[in-house]
Amino acid sequence: MADEILVVAEHREGKLVATTLELVSLGRSLAQQTGGSVKVALPAHGGNLAPKLAEYAEVLVANDPHLEHYSPGGYEQAILAIAAAITPRVILVPHSSQGFDLAPAVAVALDAPLVTNCVALSIEGATLVATRKILNDKIVAQVELSSDRPYVATIRPAAMKAAEPLPSSAPITSIRVEIDASKLGTKFLRYEKPEVQDIDIATADIVVSAGRGIKEKKNLVIVEEFAKVLGGVVGASRPLTDMEWLPKTRQVGQSGKTVRPKLYIACGISGAMQHVSGMKDAGTIIAINTDPSAPIFEVAHYGFTANVLELLPAAMKELRGG
Amino acid sequence: MALNIVVCLKQVPNPDLQFQINAEGTDLKRDALNYRTNGADEYALEEAVRLKEKHGGRVVTMTVGPKRTEQMLREALAKGGDEAVRVAYEDPAAFDSVKVARILAAAIKTIPHDLVLAGVQSDDYINSLTGGEIARTLGHPHASVVTKVAIDGGTLTVNRELEGGDQEVVQLAMPAVLTIQFGINTPRYAPLPAIMKAARQPIKEITPSALGANSWDDFARGYTFRVRRLSLPEAKGHAEMFTGGVTDQAKKLAQVLREKGFYRG
Repeated sequence: MADEILVVAEHREGKLVATTLELVSLGRSLAQQTGGSVKVALPAHGGNLAPKLAEYAEVLVANDPHLEHYSPGGYEQAILAIAAAITPRVILVPHSSQGFDLAPAVAVALDAPLVTNCVALSIEGATLVATRKILNDKIVAQVELSSDRPYVATIRPAAMKAAEPLPSSAPITSIRVEIDASKLGTKFLRYEKPEVQDIDIATADIVVSAGRGIKEKKNLVIVEEFAKVLGGVVGASRPLTDMEWLPKTRQVGQSGKTVRPKLYIACGISGAMQHVSGMKDAGTIIAINTDPSAPIFEVAHYGFTANVLELLPAAMKELRGG
Repeated sequence: MALNIVVCLKQVPNPDLQFQINAEGTDLKRDALNYRTNGADEYALEEAVRLKEKHGGRVVTMTVGPKRTEQMLREALAKGGDEAVRVAYEDPAAFDSVKVARILAAAIKTIPHDLVLAGVQSDDYINSLTGGEIARTLGHPHASVVTKVAIDGGTLTVNRELEGGDQEVVQLAMPAVLTIQFGINTPRYAPLPAIMKAARQPIKEITPSALGANSWDDFARGYTFRVRRLSLPEAKGHAEMFTGGVTDQAKKLAQVLREKGFYRG
């Protein structure tokens, strides 16, 4: 009974966040190790996500008007009520903007150990073994936690494949909660969405993206010219849009756009998780970076270890001259 | 109202470098590292100083770490911090980030505060848990990945960055904890006179006994933590790599683009 794996579903504006099903997949493998089963916690107000989730695992729904929008306090109360009903061994939370908030709150409330941004997890007896990528993904760290309390872990998006549906839907159980509205922590006001007045890099066949490796704003023209030669558009990594060298609409990555072009060229981009999650599914990926250990080469199909400011002009000359 | 702000800073190895692992596989080879202030924390500090300049008050900069972190604290003083506190947890690696967050929370509790700011993540361990742990431990409201802060009386209105470019606007009451996202502002450079002045400023040190503990291990109660093994990522053999002179590589790049049909000139 105490060996259940609880996955916290993440959803926004009626839509399930994809990481949830990846967590179910991980939950299934952990449940095999503990001899328990995987269950999904769904804090919500109405909506129709429970039947969809039940195609993958048993769903425990906490339904309350105060759960219409995410709040750390509201969700914490809901997760604690669900956890009290099943005494999970491990609680899995997406490593997302919401997870940064929720996972520590639940861990502190349960006086439980917390490990975050994991790419793999396993249970060995009473020990949780977490695999994390640190230092710009240049080092893999395996850490062990031992405790008789439940473990709370956040899982990096896209670290594993989404779960396949079950042969037939699992049960949906309603967990009684009454959310204390004086303990929501934050009050939701509204969503703000970017106004699109720029080209949409998400629909382009060829995206040539610039990163810190271009060194100075004036060097953007080199990348722009290269993109033009190929009939593509210019994207950017986060540091460049933070410095306002390019508008926010050009940012590729977790907090920007997800792109799946036929060709993606990463120019002077190291390949931090936040960037890679937005472009790893491109058809062909070419990476140019002076650092041969840059993690961008992990996802690239072709890697060039050169200074992008020298390589692009030389390659344009080759293309035009040939 | 004048604000008492605590900013949590972390000194991290420059993540742009290449790393080597010690013989035991439990830590980096640290003698070759150079350290700098964590990227997101620079934005948290700048935001704190701007809020102080607008509303009045004080900015206390705080870190948990060995002696070398004093350099970072002095930089923070030169950039507008009023006081510096080093929590003297001397572990150079400090892999157990929950323990560090609990220590920080206990130290912050000893200081009057309306607002606690931390970076959204540390560039070395990328946990994004410190702000949340501190907030829940102190019983304060918390908002993560903050890209805009406005204060009206005792109420904060903040933008939180969500995935996919969307933002969420929420309100929370002070005292509160915010984790600050990259790009919220443009961090300033320290003027030379301020650097000179900061070099002479005292740095307060906090020991376990000052927090009512016998040792720092008191803050890791309820679990044990251990680094099993550090390793270099397995080369996935994904990329076909090209090295050598620029001219050779340019020829190869042009060839790949032609063969794949991406250049039809």
